[in-house]
Amino acid sequence: MSTKVMTSSTARPDAPPVAAGSRRSARRPPILPTVLGGYLPMLVIVLVVGLPLAWMVLSSFKQVSEVITLHLRVLPQHWSFANYVEAFRTAPFGRFFLNSVLVTAVGATLKVLLAIHTAYALVFVRFPFKNVIFVALLVALMVPPQVAILPNYVLIAGLNGLNTYWGIIVPSLGTAFGTFLLRQAFRSLPISMIEAAEVDGAGHMARLWRMVVPITAPSIATVALVTIVSEWNEYIWPLIITTDPNLMTLPVGLTLLQNNESGPAGYGVMMAGAVIVILPVLVVFTFLQRYIVAGLTAGSTSN
Amino acid sequence: MAISLDRRHFLALSGASVGALALGACSGPNTSGSTAASSAANGTDWSKVTPASEITFWSNHPGKSADIEAQLIDAYHKSQSETKVTLVTAGATYEDVAQKFQTAQQGGQLPHVVVFSDVWWFRYFLNDSIINLDGVLSFLKVDTSDYVDGLYKDYAYNKLQWAMPYARSTPIFYYNKAMWAAAGLEDRAPKTWQEFATWAPKLKAANPGLQVAHMYAAAADYDSWTLQNKIWGEGGALSNEWTITCDSADVVRTLQFTQDSVYKDKWAGVSAKDVSADFSAGAAASYVGSTGSLVGVLKTAKFDVGVGFLPGGSKATDMVCPTGGAGLGIPKAITPEQQLAAAKFLAFLTLPENTAAFASATGYLPVRKSSDMSAMYAKVPQAKTAVEQLSHTRAQDYARVFLPGGDREIAIANSDILTQQANITDRLAKLKTTLTGIYTSDVKPKLS
Amino acid sequence: MSAAVPAPRRRRISRRARRDALVFLAMALPNLVLVGAFTYRPLILNIYYSTLNWTLGSPSATVAGLGNYVRFFTSDAAGVVLTTTAVFAVFTVGGSMLLGLLVALSLNTRLPGRTLARASVFAPYVLSGVGVGLVWLFIFDPVYGVFAYVLRQFGLESPRWFNDPTLSLVMVIAVYVWKNLGYCAVVYLAGLQSLPTDILEAASLDGAGRMRRFWYVSLPLLGPTTLFLLITTILSSLQAFDLIKIMTPTSEGTRTLIYEAYVQGFGAYQRAGYSAAISVILFVILITLTIIQIAWVDRKVHYA
Repeated sequence: MSTKVMTSSTARPDAPPVAAGSRRSARRPPILPTVLGGYLPMLVIVLVVGLPLAWMVLSSFKQVSEVITLHLRVLPQHWSFANYVEAFRTAPFGRFFLNSVLVTAVGATLKVLLAIHTAYALVFVRFPFKNVIFVALLVALMVPPQVAILPNYVLIAGLNGLNTYWGIIVPSLGTAFGTFLLRQAFRSLPISMIEAAEVDGAGHMARLWRMVVPITAPSIATVALVTIVSEWNEYIWPLIITTDPNLMTLPVGLTLLQNNESGPAGYGVMMAGAVIVILPVLVVFTFLQRYIVAGLTAGSTSN
Repeated sequence: MAISLDRRHFLALSGASVGALALGACSGPNTSGSTAASSAANGTDWSKVTPASEITFWSNHPGKSADIEAQLIDAYHKSQSETKVTLVTAGATYEDVAQKFQTAQQGGQLPHVVVFSDVWWFRYFLNDSIINLDGVLSFLKVDTSDYVDGLYKDYAYNKLQWAMPYARSTPIFYYNKAMWAAAGLEDRAPKTWQEFATWAPKLKAANPGLQVAHMYAAAADYDSWTLQNKIWGEGGALSNEWTITCDSADVVRTLQFTQDSVYKDKWAGVSAKDVSADFSAGAAASYVGSTGSLVGVLKTAKFDVGVGFLPGGSKATDMVCPTGGAGLGIPKAITPEQQLAAAKFLAFLTLPENTAAFASATGYLPVRKSSDMSAMYAKVPQAKTAVEQLSHTRAQDYARVFLPGGDREIAIANSDILTQQANITDRLAKLKTTLTGIYTSDVKPKLS
Repeated sequence: MSAAVPAPRRRRISRRARRDALVFLAMALPNLVLVGAFTYRPLILNIYYSTLNWTLGSPSATVAGLGNYVRFFTSDAAGVVLTTTAVFAVFTVGGSMLLGLLVALSLNTRLPGRTLARASVFAPYVLSGVGVGLVWLFIFDPVYGVFAYVLRQFGLESPRWFNDPTLSLVMVIAVYVWKNLGYCAVVYLAGLQSLPTDILEAASLDGAGRMRRFWYVSLPLLGPTTLFLLITTILSSLQAFDLIKIMTPTSEGTRTLIYEAYVQGFGAYQRAGYSAAISVILFVILITLTIIQIAWVDRKVHYA
């Protein structure tokens, strides 16, 4: 492990000035710097992030005339579930939720597995032109997503995949982002450890699942989270490939609540719809992030 | 991470790409044939065709019509057992539905009845994607004379009928009765924009919390649609059939008036997003918008809402109102059995009592002359105004509805003038060039 | 320290090498085939489409060769679109990474409550662009929005966020940074947490204060992380779509390349060939940027 320290700057355009409020807190800190440098930033962060979301939730319980008004109130005058009732009535949100869960669970699981195996193969298995292949994968990341819509639609429709779950899931399975991140993570593992296992007779799969995966668990968890999130929020492709409401996913359903020329009355319902779409992700995220954060703070062993 | 791309790799890669290209080139448009839209009358002999047993109806439920559409479909199923109709939500906006419809042309399931707005149907015609309905409608003995002339004729081109009116609207002048009363104004809409210009200062003086006496719609909120009313009132037009006239002196004068109302006389503003919401919130005393929003506005506003005809201008006070909204069409690339079934469903949807029910549920206009709307008018008297205005409407300018992207270009030019204080003559000259370019490159080659 | 091994000599492909090749294919081929079929094939097709004059939905088209590219670069739109894209990219990438680093630094602490703070900062990233756009629409609206209300209490008028192109761009950039800085913060946090403490202690013993330690030790060691973030945030910034569509549908100030491609193709104009050409231009820009980053920076960054 090299300990050379570079004195030239990295590729960052401007190095950030370390503001007074962002020093890492030292052990046994004095009070004022702790509050200013530690708690204040955290409080600001939580507020900046939380307030808009709180606003959305509160608005979803208001009647629309309380939202579309010059006289803002923070809390609803009468808490009412009317918007949610209307949302569920206008569109089968229960069904949308199930579809989203199914598509996300299957899709994300497959993508993470594909990423793990591809990254491992790229790093630990001998094969000619691996770098070329990796670059080709990176290039795939640069293809603007809407480029793929028309050709994929024609292909999937031709295979009778319209209005099917596999039609929704399969086109986005090819994963470059996860492979990229995990490849970087795998590369920072000490080769010596892996080679020792090889000498001991462990095959590739054993090496992958018994050694590599446990050590890089935080990175894998990050990939899993990003994959789940993007799968859940996927909007354009499910919109195009489904016409049957029984197969639509939540984001698609959310846009259904918007209507041409319905006037302002639809906004309360849209807020409720937005909450319905956002809430499950937040819940899942709350559980997953504890694991990621725990992994991160346990003192990452990826050195 | 050096990339060693020697000759062998390069050849291999190029070989692979050419192969893929060959494979890929199979899908995509035909580049050898003619590109003219076929305006031949549909020659199918409908007497030999039996209607299909299942059809799909792609809608974006304009005006929150999902419920009423479902009810009408139920009623259709009760009235006949030949064909089952499936309602499909094809998107939230007309644009979404169009996107899906265009994509489906390439391969995929086409709908059998599809909804499209005033600025989309002509493109389907140009692409040869929809059939003309004269033959099948006369076979089904549909009384086409009972359809409201203005609404029906909107879908005629080259003496053929290409769609049926469905969720049709006109813009109306909405005003806040309480604010009107505070300013001592008569309880009616202004007869001309010039008359309103004299009312506006009184409105602002009498209502302290008011932001503007009148709010223009945002560019994305169909502002170019209602702009036509102001232009026509001044004797101008965006286009005269295919000749673009958006830079004429009359149009310049119109936009000078509106620009001054924002910057010089300061009684008007431009909405950020949804002008009907701004009005309902009490930030604007009046606005011009679709009658389709009427029900929503009545529900949201905390004051009495007045409605009236659109104001005229200094050169014309009548026949200055455009129509708008959506119609229904039948795709070409489906079987005649499906087309016949679709046409029968269309005829049912636009029966007088059904269109009345649709209009009552949404605020859109009934498309049949013989529809009975008395129940609706008893409940919501304001709904009558748009219907009465129908005999004072005229067809929209080609530049807005027949040029792909024309509507957007006009809206952006208008927005530049109203929010960026752009030089009117220059901006309109630029608009003319753009619109003419669209016509020459995207439309003219396809007109036979 | 590359783990890649040069191609095996052609004379003798050892059995192990052949076995490894099979393992490689078994592990990587499914992914590669999927990427090939659903990303590369459309890309090639798209390049083909970009040579056509084709209205979406029409069964026929005429060959335009490079006409669409010429048309784009000679139009007024090109300057606006490219500038807007550049401005958007610079500020969103710079903003997310800078703020992300600052946030990571302040979260790199043992204070209680840090878990909540860390979770919150990442939350906007996981939310759908559609949902986020909707919420912020309501906050920014000059009539019934929260900002407008607060400003009215002070007798001020709300800025015309949606009607002024510059302000529209500012608004969209702000919301985008709000949504994405959590991603940078979390990745930086992971990087900070895995910095080798022995080096830092050595530097501290050498007398380096906190600032110098950060600037000359931590920051360079964060090099690989920074490079990764730079590449991925530029990619996602240049492909940002949902927010723009929801908040500024007519995109007067927010005409980025990707949104322009959408409007020209699937939106109002339905010019499929022209839109494809714009997508290809975007793709070329993305590749160029990435190559530059990797090649130039790779010389300077050191893997610890």
